[in-house]
Amino acid sequence: MQYSTDGRPKPVDEACELVANRQLAGTLWDMELRAPQIAARILPGQFVHMKIPGMDGRILRRPFSVYAADAQAGTLRILYQVVGKGSAHMTTLAPGRVDDIDVMGPMGNPWWLPEGAQRVLFVVGGVGAAPLAMFGEQLRQAGVGLDVCMGAQTADALVMKEHYERVVGVEPICATDDGTFGHAGFVTGPAGDLLQGGGYDLVCCCGPEPLMRIVAGMALEAGVACEVSLEKRMACGIGACLSCVVDTVDGRKRSCVDGPVFDAGKVVW
Amino acid sequence: MGQTTFEPKLAVNLGGLMMKNPVTDASGTFAAGREYSDFVDVERMGAVTTKGVSVVPWTGNDSPRIAETPSGMLNSIGLQNPGVEVFKQKDLAWLAGKDVPVIVNACGHSVAEYEGIIEALADDARVGAFEVNISCPNVDAGGLTFGTVPEQAAEVVRVCRAKTSKPLIVKLTPNVTDITEIARAVEAEGADAISLINTLLGMAIDVRTRKPILARVVGGLSGPAVKPVALRMVWQVHNAVKVPLLGMGGIATAEDAIEFMLAGATAVAVGTANFVNPHAVEEVIDGIRAYCIEQGVKDVNELIGGLKA
Repeated sequence: MQYSTDGRPKPVDEACELVANRQLAGTLWDMELRAPQIAARILPGQFVHMKIPGMDGRILRRPFSVYAADAQAGTLRILYQVVGKGSAHMTTLAPGRVDDIDVMGPMGNPWWLPEGAQRVLFVVGGVGAAPLAMFGEQLRQAGVGLDVCMGAQTADALVMKEHYERVVGVEPICATDDGTFGHAGFVTGPAGDLLQGGGYDLVCCCGPEPLMRIVAGMALEAGVACEVSLEKRMACGIGACLSCVVDTVDGRKRSCVDGPVFDAGKVVW
Repeated sequence: MGQTTFEPKLAVNLGGLMMKNPVTDASGTFAAGREYSDFVDVERMGAVTTKGVSVVPWTGNDSPRIAETPSGMLNSIGLQNPGVEVFKQKDLAWLAGKDVPVIVNACGHSVAEYEGIIEALADDARVGAFEVNISCPNVDAGGLTFGTVPEQAAEVVRVCRAKTSKPLIVKLTPNVTDITEIARAVEAEGADAISLINTLLGMAIDVRTRKPILARVVGGLSGPAVKPVALRMVWQVHNAVKVPLLGMGGIATAEDAIEFMLAGATAVAVGTANFVNPHAVEEVIDGIRAYCIEQGVKDVNELIGGLKA
């Protein structure tokens, strides 16, 4: 494999085939792309930067987390939520389109496991379940203990639960805002209980910013290392434009190349 | 396809800066090249234009810093940069071994800061030319942009000119009533070339929250949306001054670039298009060459100001 100047797998720009694009629940959609070069080199936590075809007036690429990569089949899967015109347009793309979805990747820094870590806690909210799924697979293969607390607004929105059970091999402890599944209330409830029980070497959190801020605080209090994946508005995706900066104790860092995974203890919330 | 019977000459002279082709990047869209080096061979470029650098570090503006708008984007990065010392150690050091001229974009919040940044780099062999960004707010004058007042623009150029014999390119803001007035003022103070346009001041609002999308409320518009405005201004300035022009504003393809050259630009810069297509700079270079072959243009200099009545 070729490596970039900063030691990460060298990113490429690939014309991809849309293999599948289906609605999972409400505003949540699952897209599968054939992107063999990216699928072969992407690390857990890295993202792809996609030019959505057929929307010429909206020129910028969109970053998406990859929740599964199959190097043999050459495919990537992304979970996306319809939040604006761009993502709404994505739902209209029909599978079978060949070579017209331009994807750059893999981008950004992966999750990392502190040396000697034995047990890890994931705290994920909404679509934030996606960026950690591949790391979950990696941890399980390495024999590292893993607990997952998964939150969503409703039972329907727990769309990654089945993937975690089947592919990652962990049954998530779920919480829903409306109490339709699992704990009623925010995922910080069960996550806090588990953290108090002790035994974790690392907490990884991805979801809405308030969730990450709270979990980062809980981990700090418990004396456990914590990583978060921060999504900011991006333009270039490769560190040039400085659109996506995050305030940290070491100054402003770019979420695209210095992140998206950050040491939560260094983020200025 | 006709057989290639000649290799067009693509080299241009931008106010003393010899470029092997007319294409560079627009400052702030390309860092200093290293970030793009996974996608672009920077040695193929006519020049690398660096992100704006100041004497001391600037932290830039709060987030959100960008907003997507029809056929373009707004940005309010705020010229975040680590200051000239880090710039030398990191960016210029990386560029040192590369066979490509470097245009350093220089900025300041006061006349003294402009003088300081030119002085700090005037003797650096790696600097091929300066592009003075006069779109910065003048802190001494209550935040008024230097480039909107002919006398202030002239003063900045005068102090920079006194500090360097390297080619001095002055980058104009389009947010003025008459850009030719500013162009003449900087030419009179010894600018070797003029680059234009910087971004157009704009704004975007989220109707759901009823708040501005950018933390700083307003920002600079760039991308294909601004191209007709930029082209018009290049044409006006070409008719007003004698110094060569570096044209930019929404250039995404070779055809766009050739339009700017016909309007009077000697060289062109690719900006926001880099974010959309990381290969844009090289595609523009290849496309200009292909156009010359197709049109029987033996020397790309024939295109400059070649607009027909």
